[in-house]
Amino acid sequence: MRLIIRDDPLAVGDYIANYIAKRINDFEPTPERPFVLGLPTGSSPIPTYKALIKLVKDGKLSFKNVITFNMDEYVGLPRDHSESYHTFMFREFFSHIDIPPSQVNILNGNAEDLIGECNKYEARIKEVGGIELFLGGIGEDGHIAFNEPGSSLASRTRIKTLAFETILANARFFNNDISQVPRMALTVGVATVLDSREVVVVVTGQRKSLALSKAIEEGVNHLASWTLSALQMHPWALIVVDEDATAELHVKTVKYFRSIESVQHEVERSQAALKAKGVLQAGAAEEQVGSME
Amino acid sequence: MSSANGLVCFTNCLLPQEDGGLVERDLWIDERRGVILDSQLAFFERRERPDRIIDLGGNILSPGLIDIQINGAYGFDFSVYDGDEEAYRQGMKLVAEKIVETGVTSLVPTLITQEKSLYPKILNLLHPFSTPTSATLLGWHAEGPFIDMAKRGAHAPPFLLSAPEGIKSFESAYGAHNLVDSEDWLMATEGQCGVRIITGAPEIKGVVGAVHELTKRGVVFSIGHSAATSAIATAAVMQGARLITHLFNAMPQLHHRDPAIIGLLGASPHLSAPAIDDFPTPTSPSAASAVSGVTSEAFDYQTTPGTRPTVNRTASVSELHLLKGQVADLAFERPYYDMIVDGIHLHPNSVRLAYSAFPEGCILITDAMKILDPNLRDGVHEWRDGKRFVKEGDKLYLEGTDTLAGSVITLDKCVRNFSRFTGGSLGEAIKCATFNPAKCLGIENTKGTLRPGADADLVVLDRQGIPVSTWVKGKQVWGIPVN
Repeated sequence: MRLIIRDDPLAVGDYIANYIAKRINDFEPTPERPFVLGLPTGSSPIPTYKALIKLVKDGKLSFKNVITFNMDEYVGLPRDHSESYHTFMFREFFSHIDIPPSQVNILNGNAEDLIGECNKYEARIKEVGGIELFLGGIGEDGHIAFNEPGSSLASRTRIKTLAFETILANARFFNNDISQVPRMALTVGVATVLDSREVVVVVTGQRKSLALSKAIEEGVNHLASWTLSALQMHPWALIVVDEDATAELHVKTVKYFRSIESVQHEVERSQAALKAKGVLQAGAAEEQVGSME
Repeated sequence: MSSANGLVCFTNCLLPQEDGGLVERDLWIDERRGVILDSQLAFFERRERPDRIIDLGGNILSPGLIDIQINGAYGFDFSVYDGDEEAYRQGMKLVAEKIVETGVTSLVPTLITQEKSLYPKILNLLHPFSTPTSATLLGWHAEGPFIDMAKRGAHAPPFLLSAPEGIKSFESAYGAHNLVDSEDWLMATEGQCGVRIITGAPEIKGVVGAVHELTKRGVVFSIGHSAATSAIATAAVMQGARLITHLFNAMPQLHHRDPAIIGLLGASPHLSAPAIDDFPTPTSPSAASAVSGVTSEAFDYQTTPGTRPTVNRTASVSELHLLKGQVADLAFERPYYDMIVDGIHLHPNSVRLAYSAFPEGCILITDAMKILDPNLRDGVHEWRDGKRFVKEGDKLYLEGTDTLAGSVITLDKCVRNFSRFTGGSLGEAIKCATFNPAKCLGIENTKGTLRPGADADLVVLDRQGIPVSTWVKGKQVWGIPVN
C-alpha cells in the first residue's frame, strides 16, 4: 500500500486527477480495449472530478474509450432526485466530460428485481474485463461505498441496509428529515473493489483521520468498522490524503510514506527509461512497479 | 452549422433562474424539436450527449425576452389596416423577423383603440404567428375601446365605448369568435383565435361585470387607461383582473387616502375586498371626468379622487399572527403590473418604488410605436389619421402636444435600465422581461423559462445585458454566427 500526503483537498484532487489521467493515457484505450474505471460519489472526490474535467477541457485527457462503474445508488430514490447518485455524477462529472452515455454504468435503485440488478452489474463488470482502477472515498467509520461496518470482505454487489450513522450523516441532504433518507442502497461489495487491478482512495479532512489510522496502522478488521483496512490485502492500493487526515497517524508512519514517495518516483522513472530503450516489452510498464506491496 | 445528433450544449454561460438568480450551468437543447432538454434525462435515458458544444465565453444565456405590449415596429403599425390583408400579414412577418435583434422572441401585438368596424378584421389577422426564423406573435392585446375618456392618452375619443351589456358588448366590439371559450383556444394551435390581453377601465359601465367571464375564457384582463378608485380597482381584481397596463401612466396618481390602481401593489392582507354593490355606480367616475373636460394626461392630478377615504371595506376576520417575516394570506392576489422603463414614462425612483412593493408582479414592456427601430434617427415621423410623432431620443410625443404617445425604446434596453434604476441584478431584471410576463399569460411552461420542455427561444446577452445573439426554436436567427 502506498500513501501520498498533500497539503490540502485541492492538491489531493490534482494529484489523483493527474495520476488517473496518466494511467488512462498510458493504457492507450481503444473501443475494443477500453479503460474500465470505478467511481465514487461524496464530497471528497469533488476536487478530483474538477481537476479531471479541466484536463478534459484542456485536451489532455479523453473519456471516449473509458467505461465507468459507480459504487452505489440509493434504493427507491427517483433517478432525477437532487440527492440521487445519478444526479450527483451527472452534475459533478459526466455532463462536463466527453464520455459517451452508453459507457456509464450506475446501479438502478428503482429496478423491480434489485438482486437481479446487482447480479447483472457484477456480470457486466466481468464482461468488460474487470475494473482497471477503482477510485473510492471513505466514510468517517472507514466504510467504502455502502459497505457498512460488518460487511463481509468477500461481499459482492448487493442490497445493503444503511447504518444509522450513515442515515444521520445523510439527513442534511434531505431537509434534515431522517424519515426522508432512503434506508437501503445497492452497492458494490468489498470483494468487487478488491478485485479491481488497482484501488485509489481519497481521504481528506480531520473527521476521516481516525479511520485512516485504523486502516493502515492496525490489522484488517471490518467488524470494528474499518472496512478501508481491507485495502491491506490488495496488491496495488494507493491512498491519497491531505494534512488534516493524517492527524491520528504516528509521526513515523507519515515519515515512512513520505520517504517511499520519492523512491517510487525513482523506480518509475528508470522503468520508463528502460521501456523507451526497448529493454522492456511493450505493456510491461502497465504493470505495477516499485516498492510498495 | 448543426449538430450530428441534433443536440446542442451551451457551456461556459450564466443561466437566469426563475428566482432572479444567475447560475453557471450548461444548457442542452434539441435543435430539431426546438426545445430545451432535461440534460440528465437525455444522458441516462436517451443515452445521448450533444454532438455540438457552444462555448458562450461567460455570457448570459437567457430565455428570449417577451414583450406583452408593443404597438408596432420597423414602420409597421399593428393598429393600421387599410383593407389589404396581404400587406398586413407582411407587416406582421416583418416585425416578427426583425424584432429578434432586440432579444425579443415572443410578443403580443397591441391594438390601440380602433374604429369599431376595424376590430373584427384586424383581430382575424392577428392569430398566433411565427416563421422558422422569427419571433412568435402570441396573439393580440387590445388596449381599448373600453377605457376612460379622462385617461385616454393618445387614444381617439370618438371611438371609446362603454359596455352596457357586459360581455356581450365585448363580443360585439371584438367579434364573438375572437373571444372564444378558453377550452377551445388553449387547445388550439397556430391559426386559431389569438386573444391574450384586454386593457380596459373597470369604472366604465359594464366592464367590471364582464371581467369574470373574460377571465374564465383565458383572457388576461388588464386595468389601464382608467380613473378607477381603490374600491373599483380592487373589485376588478376580485373578478379576475390580473394585470395593470403601463403602471403610473394613464391612471390616477398615488393618493395616500385613495391610492387607486397603483395602490393595488400594496394591497393590505388585513382588508378583504368589498362586495361589488358597495361601489359608486360604475358610470359616475367617467361621467365626472368627462364633465371636467380634462383630457390630457398632463392634468391627471386634477381628477384624482377624494381626499377622504372612500373605501368602505371591512376588516377581515383573520387573526394577527406572531411569525416574523411571514405575511398573512392576501384576500386576493395582487395583479401583475407592466412598466415602460425608458426613464421618460417613469422616473427611475417610481420604477424602484413599484418594484420594491411587489417584485413578483413586475413586467417590463416597451409599448413601442411603429417607428421602433434601433437604427432610426430623431425627428418628425408619420403616424396615422394624419397625425405625426416627434421622436427625441427615447421620447415620443404627438406632434404639437406634450402627450406621450408610447415609446421607441427596445426591450433589451428596458432590461438594462431596470437593473440600473432599481439597483437590482441583471438576472432580476431579466426575470421581469421573461418569466414574469410568461407567468402572467399562463405560458410559463413553454416561454420565458429554461425549464425542460420549454421552447428553445433564447437570447445571449453579454454581462452588461447587450444582446449578442438570438435563437428561435433552437436555431440561431440573429447575431454573428457561432462556431
